[in-house]
Amino acid sequence: MINPLDMLRDPFMQSALVTGLALVALCASVSVLVVLKRLAFVGQGVSHSAFGGIGLAAVLSVGLAGAGVPTGWLTQGGVVEFVIVLAFCVGAALLMAAIADRTTLHVDTGIGLLLVASMALGGVLVEASRKIAEATGVPVGVRSWESVLFGSLASNGWNDAIIAWGVALAVLLTLWVIRRPLVFWAFDEQASPAFGVPSRRMSAILMVVLAVVVVTSMKLAGVVPATAMLVLPGAIALKLGSRMGTVTAWAVVSGVVGLLAGLMCSMAFDVQPGPCIVLILTALFGVAAAVRRG
Amino acid sequence: MSGPHQSAGEAGEPIVEFEDVSFAYPNAEGPALEGVSLRVRRGQRLGILGPNGGGKSTLLKLALGLLSPSSGRVRVLGRDPGEARALGLVGYVPQKTTAELGFPLTVTQVATMAAAWRVPAWRPVPGAVRERVREMLDLVGVADLAQRAIGGLSGGQLQRVMIARALLAAPRGEGAGGGAMRAPALLALDEPMVGIDAVGQARFAELLQRVHRELGVTILIVSHDLRAIAAGCDEVACLARRLHYHASPTGLTPRVLAEVFSHDVAGIAGLAGMHIHAHGPGEACPDTGPVGLSVSAPRGGARGGAGGGAGGGS
Repeated sequence: MINPLDMLRDPFMQSALVTGLALVALCASVSVLVVLKRLAFVGQGVSHSAFGGIGLAAVLSVGLAGAGVPTGWLTQGGVVEFVIVLAFCVGAALLMAAIADRTTLHVDTGIGLLLVASMALGGVLVEASRKIAEATGVPVGVRSWESVLFGSLASNGWNDAIIAWGVALAVLLTLWVIRRPLVFWAFDEQASPAFGVPSRRMSAILMVVLAVVVVTSMKLAGVVPATAMLVLPGAIALKLGSRMGTVTAWAVVSGVVGLLAGLMCSMAFDVQPGPCIVLILTALFGVAAAVRRG
Repeated sequence: MSGPHQSAGEAGEPIVEFEDVSFAYPNAEGPALEGVSLRVRRGQRLGILGPNGGGKSTLLKLALGLLSPSSGRVRVLGRDPGEARALGLVGYVPQKTTAELGFPLTVTQVATMAAAWRVPAWRPVPGAVRERVREMLDLVGVADLAQRAIGGLSGGQLQRVMIARALLAAPRGEGAGGGAMRAPALLALDEPMVGIDAVGQARFAELLQRVHRELGVTILIVSHDLRAIAAGCDEVACLARRLHYHASPTGLTPRVLAEVFSHDVAGIAGLAGMHIHAHGPGEACPDTGPVGLSVSAPRGGARGGAGGGAGGGS
């Protein structure tokens, strides 16, 4: 049996815990809306668009290094790569919103199209960066897709924790400021424009926020745990609460419980925390669904 | 209810104006609306009647500024409709299916949205707005459901909440500042009777009468239900791409209805049980003079149905 205090004494787990709490703040803040507005597939589309951004950063890194430009600022997993991936994903999210709003193409088709195109582009660009590196003799590290998919909460340092909390506070502040028109728009997308609610602006802001949340969560924990954190706290909360306030509180509580239990399981069984968190949250959803039925 | 609760403005002032308006959807074969001119004055209730695809909802969307005319001009309170909408001068009741009823919101929260969405995040919802919400929920008869989840209401109850929400549309500068709120200048309803049973429809018509009587709000109501339009409107506009008729419902003849509905008069919703039959222009009806559309009570006998009406004569 793991003593929770052991977790607090372990320096790796300390930063993982602080970073994880930022992850919970980020994801729980939008999770209820993601579930209610059926945006889970949008989250998937945005997260997989990151592969295109990673490929772009890899080619830029090798290309610039080959041209003799110092690329220490463009290291893999670094802040600049994060910004490039973020810009790529925000662009993809806005494109998805535009497809939904201005074309006759079904939004799911548009997301699927962007998802596969971005992943394929990422694969081609990473391969191209390897070949350029071989041809020019520039040393380049290989980024494994597993690290992108599952990440590792435990490998985040204090710098990552600071960035995570900075992004989380910015997202929380944005959502708090626009909460009234945002909830009106989200509740009645078709009617709210007739009341003067700037619906296109709300849609664009939500997509940008979603992209920021997804990309940051991915960097902190990998695609799969990020997706779980984005969807499951909201799904659990909607099983347990019936008012917006209590539902939001349940989303935060279930996210924190999933994080803490996941980190403890990770320590107990010496496995990556990401999959543990996903499994714990899935189990919590099962319990919440059973409680609701009972 | 009077004073600040009433919709402000001079009686007779034009609220909605369509001047020779045409509209065609992109890639459509023909125009949805062609050369439509009409005017709705303050305090009037205009019912827009027509067949499916006749351009009723298009006309409403043009009045709300959600579409722009291909030609001609639309004005709402002398302004561009988009501007009037952005200013919160219009209350809108959509068909009931547009809202996400799975949201964990109460009736009060839904009604408050319209009045308080402009209130800055750092300010609480002003007491005047909360009081106005209570008044409007009371006016539409759902005060006892104020704390009920929005997803747990019947179709009729939900429609009442949507009317309260529309009446709480807050003009920019009102509500947010905590001052008194007025009713919106225009209440636009899109097929509000769809999915509501006959009893619910009768109650709904009474409710609109009450709202009009107490708030003096101008009403624009789109429906394919002749009975709903005839019972609660001062004027009716019959629309089938073009405007075929725009006057009092008591002057509406079966000939006009046959023209608007392409002679499929039997298919007009709300006609069943109404006394309706054809006679020539200017010819007095031996029973009721002009067709008694304002009479909503069912009539018995062989002449009671619509089927024997327009085509066969009386």
